Amino acid sequence: MDPGPQVVTYLFGNESLPITDTLIWAWVVCIVIIIGARLATKDMKIVPAGLQNVAEMTVELIYDQIEAMMPGEGKRMLPFIATIFIFIGLSNLVGFIPGVVNPTADINTTLGLGLVVFLVSHYEGMKKHGVFGYIKGFGEPVIILLPLNVVGELAKPISHSFRLFGNMVGGGIIIMLIYSAAPWVLPVPLHAWFDLFVGAVQALIFGMIAIAYIAVCRD
Amino acid sequence: MVEFSPEVIDTIISAAALLGAGFAMIAGIGPGIGQGYAAGKAVEGVARQPEARGNIITTMLLGQAVAESTGIYSLVIAIVLIFTIAT
Repeated sequence: MDPGPQVVTYLFGNESLPITDTLIWAWVVCIVIIIGARLATKDMKIVPAGLQNVAEMTVELIYDQIEAMMPGEGKRMLPFIATIFIFIGLSNLVGFIPGVVNPTADINTTLGLGLVVFLVSHYEGMKKHGVFGYIKGFGEPVIILLPLNVVGELAKPISHSFRLFGNMVGGGIIIMLIYSAAPWVLPVPLHAWFDLFVGAVQALIFGMIAIAYIAVCRD
Repeated sequence: MVEFSPEVIDTIISAAALLGAGFAMIAGIGPGIGQGYAAGKAVEGVARQPEARGNIITTMLLGQAVAESTGIYSLVIAIVLIFTIAT
């Protein structure tokens, strides 16, 4: 019994660049998002209906969250945060389909997203304060605290990505155990809880904490 | 000094890893208390000011997510112990 990502095939033949099932489902999620975005914006109307309505509600939700923490930056940060939010949200929700592995139940996916947020937050901080002024900010309030601040800064992407990974993998393991013990009715409410509720909440939290990290670096 | 055969040593390592995974999950107490406290305070806030419900729930979820991270660390440690060392 191995809950981790399973290697399906190798990209260049023998044992190099393994392609896991989580990676393949991540590609499927990307393609679904691209097609969905194209369909939602194909013929836009003043009064939205159907898919355009859903897309507008999602964008508005994320825009309001960014504006609440970084006033005036909503339009600029929207593409980045919305990409993360929609990708993670759909990745968490696809686990509801039997046989599909959550792309986020893989530390490579979540750590990659966490590192992207880490880089963007420090880029934003350097853009706001200048490179030297930003690095000087780590030595405050006294210079002795510099290593402590640096370690605290490096712990951010780890806690950020392990939170999502742990939630999705923990839910997956519990569902797997229930499947081996009682495969008939019991897994249905568990799927609803771990994939629909926890998945949606974790996607929202990942996006909001990404906004919070960027906002803290800009201060 | 007693000499053990390799199978016995493997069994002892597996048993110790599984026991360690169980002990690691004691850390689940902390997030339980913390999240419950946050939820209780949020209920008090909503009861006092029902119109601020949306803001209170968003803040509560963010705080609970941060409080959860220690529990998630222990979960990851337990998963590593069970699925990589004990097998």
